[in-house]
Amino acid sequence: MRILAVAHNTFREAVRDKVLYVLVFFALATLLGSKALGWISIGQEIKIVIDFSLAAVSVFGVLIAIFVGTSLVYKEIDKRTIYTIICRPMSRYEFVLGKYVGMAALLGVVTAVMGISGAAYVTMLGGTVDVTYIYAVILTYWELLMVTAFATLFSSLTSPILGAIIVFSIYVVGHATTILIDLPAHFDGTTSKKVLEIIYYIVPNFSNFNIRAEAANNVAVSFDYVIWAMAYGTVYTAMLLVLAAIAFENKDV
Amino acid sequence: MDAIETKNLSKTYRAQYGRRPPPSLVGLDLIVAENEVFGFLGRNGAGKTTTIKLLCGLIRPTRGDARIFGEDSKRKESRRLIGYLPENPYFYEYLTPRETLDFYGKLHGLSAAAREAEWKKLSELLDLKSIADQRVRGFSKGMRQRLGFAVALVGDPKLLVLDEPMSGLDPLGRRAIRELILRMRDEKKTIFFSSHVLGDVEQICDRVGILVKGKLTRHGRIEELLTEKITKVEIIASGLNGAAIGEVKNLGTSMRVSEAGHHFIMPDLPTANLAVRTIHKHDGQLVDFAAVKESLEDYFMRAQEAQS
Ligand SMILES: Nc1ncnc2c1ncn2[C@@H]1O[C@H](COP(=O)(O)OP(=O)(O)O)[C@@H](O)[C@H]1O
Ligand SMILES: [Mg+2]
Repeated sequence: MRILAVAHNTFREAVRDKVLYVLVFFALATLLGSKALGWISIGQEIKIVIDFSLAAVSVFGVLIAIFVGTSLVYKEIDKRTIYTIICRPMSRYEFVLGKYVGMAALLGVVTAVMGISGAAYVTMLGGTVDVTYIYAVILTYWELLMVTAFATLFSSLTSPILGAIIVFSIYVVGHATTILIDLPAHFDGTTSKKVLEIIYYIVPNFSNFNIRAEAANNVAVSFDYVIWAMAYGTVYTAMLLVLAAIAFENKDV
Repeated sequence: MDAIETKNLSKTYRAQYGRRPPPSLVGLDLIVAENEVFGFLGRNGAGKTTTIKLLCGLIRPTRGDARIFGEDSKRKESRRLIGYLPENPYFYEYLTPRETLDFYGKLHGLSAAAREAEWKKLSELLDLKSIADQRVRGFSKGMRQRLGFAVALVGDPKLLVLDEPMSGLDPLGRRAIRELILRMRDEKKTIFFSSHVLGDVEQICDRVGILVKGKLTRHGRIEELLTEKITKVEIIASGLNGAAIGEVKNLGTSMRVSEAGHHFIMPDLPTANLAVRTIHKHDGQLVDFAAVKESLEDYFMRAQEAQS
């Protein structure tokens, strides 16, 4: 299948380019560094280590998603490797989707490696991770899938630098969406309130994927919630990928 | 069915920094028949690459359309029959030739066995065996061009579209490409290739087209274009009296006098013949009769000068 062929190559490129190893190395180094923070309070050490591990998965995953993702399609045009690919009997959306799937697979491996390392580290320190930890890792991965879809979209529209700035802004706003509707009373009935409300519904709500505090504090999260958050992410991601395919369809390369 | 048929094919790239660029291709009407070797000539910036990208579906026409074996070039079906070699082909630097061909084989939907067979055939043809498992990263221009050719041939296309396949190669490399093109012609493929060097085209093409500033200014069978067109005829005569000189001079465009006699310039062959009869009628002597011709080379040079 063509999508898989493109995906395989995207994955292979990241693996052979070794940039990835550097990032994962940093991530693991950070993880071990959390030990230093763990000294702060002896009793809460495990809790902090769990919180820190999950945060590391998220932060490094987002960095990879944004920096690799925003150059995904752009780089192929810039380096002209796309010429001999697009001229094949394949649709352009297959190319875009292939790039995305390759990236998603890559992030899957990164997330799994980091998630497992985090769990191993917690166990090594005498703690245990429960199912909520696994849920938290899965939802972080789902968030990365969505961020990558944004990155892919902007990658077929604009340069990586501009794309990275835009996606990062969306990421930040998407974590603080409640600011948009929890407005002081004097905003009531104004146009700005309506505009902000519309933005609230368009901007992705990334905090849906954040159950790190629950995982650290042993608060149970229902399976239904996890499924709901995944469905939310999937629908949003699918929409972004359709837009990316449309943006790329008539582009001159 | 014709391999390529374009109708009013035109391209103006999108505005950059608010300024709309001049059109890069204007109203191209072109037919390339099956199993023909067609040379597409033009200096840098004439619009050759633009035309080729339109044929391969990399860019969309502003107006008009192109058909590949009857199929609209905007449709992916048209690309099943095209093998494209870009100008300075770029491949994934981290792959080896074997992996590269395997990748393109997958894009063509070939099975694992078919891809293996394709590798055997193409690595043999383009002498890739010795570099089969080296990364593309360290390849020379010549090696890249060979790999590019192999990539273009994946899926056994009936039409090869080659963008300046000989540029940047040494004489030996150019010759190898020339031989390869002829070999592909013997395998009943159609070849469309661009060049800015007349010599590359003259030797192997059945037909050529000359592109100047995005417009096709001349095209046809190479013999026809090489049949030098008579642009004027110079006649030298002696022993004519004043009235006769006047009569002959009136037929032509100009006259000068030298030791050999009177030089008359005639615009074409019939007028020149009439002038000769007039000279004989007045008992003059025909000293010389020379048709001045323009070759494709002259034309190509003139077209380029007009552009610069
Ligand atoms: N992507 C592009 N955007 C804007 N102008 C372009 C682009 N590509 C080519 N051109 C312009 O179109 C004209 C034809 O270019 P091209 O087709 O590459 O010529 P050739 O291949 O004959 O050298 C040139 O004037 C070139 O500057
Ligand atoms: Mg060119």
